[in-house]
Amino acid sequence: MIGYFKTVFLSTWAFIEGLWITLRYLFKPAVTVQYPTEKLVPYDAFRGALLFDPATCIACSLCAKACPSACIALASQTHPETKKRVPKPEWYTLDLGKCNFCGLCQEACPTKPKSVWHSLDYEYSFSSRDEMVRCWKPGFPLAGRVWDPRRKEFRDLESHIPVREVEARK
Amino acid sequence: MQSEELIVTEGGLEMDTMFVNMGPQHPSTHGVLRLGLTLAGEVITKAFPDIGYLHRGTEKLMETRSYHQCVVLTDRWDYCSAMTNNLAFCLSAERLFGTQVPPRAQALRVVMCELNRIASHLILLGTYGIDIGALTPFLYTFREREMILDLYEKCCGARLTYNYIRLGGVAADIDSGWVAKCREFLEFFKPRLDEYDTLLSFNPIFLARTKDIGIISKETAVAWGLSGPNLRGSGVSYDVRKSEPYCGYEQYDFEVPLGASGSCWDRYFCRVQEMRQSVRIVEQALAELPTGELMAKGVPKIPKPPAGEAYAHVEAPRGDLGIFLVSDGGAAPYRLHVRAPCFINLAILQEILVGKKVADVIAVLGSFDIVLGEVDR
Repeated sequence: MIGYFKTVFLSTWAFIEGLWITLRYLFKPAVTVQYPTEKLVPYDAFRGALLFDPATCIACSLCAKACPSACIALASQTHPETKKRVPKPEWYTLDLGKCNFCGLCQEACPTKPKSVWHSLDYEYSFSSRDEMVRCWKPGFPLAGRVWDPRRKEFRDLESHIPVREVEARK
Repeated sequence: MQSEELIVTEGGLEMDTMFVNMGPQHPSTHGVLRLGLTLAGEVITKAFPDIGYLHRGTEKLMETRSYHQCVVLTDRWDYCSAMTNNLAFCLSAERLFGTQVPPRAQALRVVMCELNRIASHLILLGTYGIDIGALTPFLYTFREREMILDLYEKCCGARLTYNYIRLGGVAADIDSGWVAKCREFLEFFKPRLDEYDTLLSFNPIFLARTKDIGIISKETAVAWGLSGPNLRGSGVSYDVRKSEPYCGYEQYDFEVPLGASGSCWDRYFCRVQEMRQSVRIVEQALAELPTGELMAKGVPKIPKPPAGEAYAHVEAPRGDLGIFLVSDGGAAPYRLHVRAPCFINLAILQEILVGKKVADVIAVLGSFDIVLGEVDR
């Protein structure tokens, strides 16, 4: 009988102790971020969705060799008369569905500024597999375009938020 | 659910034994684990863990990738503590190459791995509470874990799959701002551990669910090859950081917490105490952080080690993680084998679950802190 009341007392006491901890946090500011309305900006080093700059790329394909999941493919331009390779990309594709976000391509890129780099964009979404493959040709925007198989043409990304303009958290 | 044998008696239909599938879609199996339980009434007579639902063949994939690319794949084994996976692979590969890692990189590796140990144990604290029925601690532990992930994001750019520890060193340096932020976290974190003890560890309801449940004796634990907190919960003092120090662990002052009886609660409490020790190690490492290089000199872009084999193991949060690496002189490993602690810890379930009630299965399984990504690889 004493043991029973002891258990009841101890359990109740533990209950009150636990609630006391919870109560103390009640008057402190909340740590949660209300995501769609509030947004965290990542740090400088953050590895988000890859961006590519066709203007600085020298088509050395070091990034394609460095990639562990072979998600990068590219072809260099050829000179129309001499048929020699020109250090400019003709097209460049990146399969974000395969991407590991490891940063090895960015490290391998020899150009300054980097022609392939991780942006701070963490809000990319896809509604089909075709959208995962981003393509760049000379003159395309940094975020690239995706191939639309129905219309047989490249189209811009829908609802793409260029976090590149946002300053990183220090 | 299928009955194995039906017996018709005067009282009606009685089931002799019953086979129950727990998982692979069960919230408390922490991933995709299937437990096949044979029940007599409510008591388990036979149990077997069925694994392989998350098999991705990383050991085989690594045979076609260069050593730098392999580090990326190691992140995906134990995704709750990817740093120690990176470290185990890099230590093994460095042994193959004969690379000497600079002292600053060694200290940074220790800091990152110990922070990762805290983050990993915080997941156990939170989810084990949920398994048992206490939801609140989860909210607190994940708040602290978030701070550690923030530190990682600031340093190496990723929050889960870091690819931070590289062959011959580490990828990124930390600055004084990072150190200050880390110290701030440690100061914030120390009193929180006492809160967890109040909320969960010494809660009579939690104690009733976990104490004297799933007891593993010293001999059984050693016989089944347990490692990590699961082994130390049974009172066996074995820690790779002490027995075979790597990355300069011998210069840090810390204790190896041991459990008394090997029950679920002992395994759980071992981890709580380990977090206190990890805080101590991080503080010591930050206090005497050497200056200098981050990467060893002479690590080529596509490394080709001499033919041979190497084994290195580290104390991962879940146990003794070992990598056996065979090279034939090529750019990719000839063979790689992972001694995954979760995989080996899981096997003992078939012995200790026998004779337990169904309600205790979750308490026992949760106390082993398995990550199915590492079990199946």
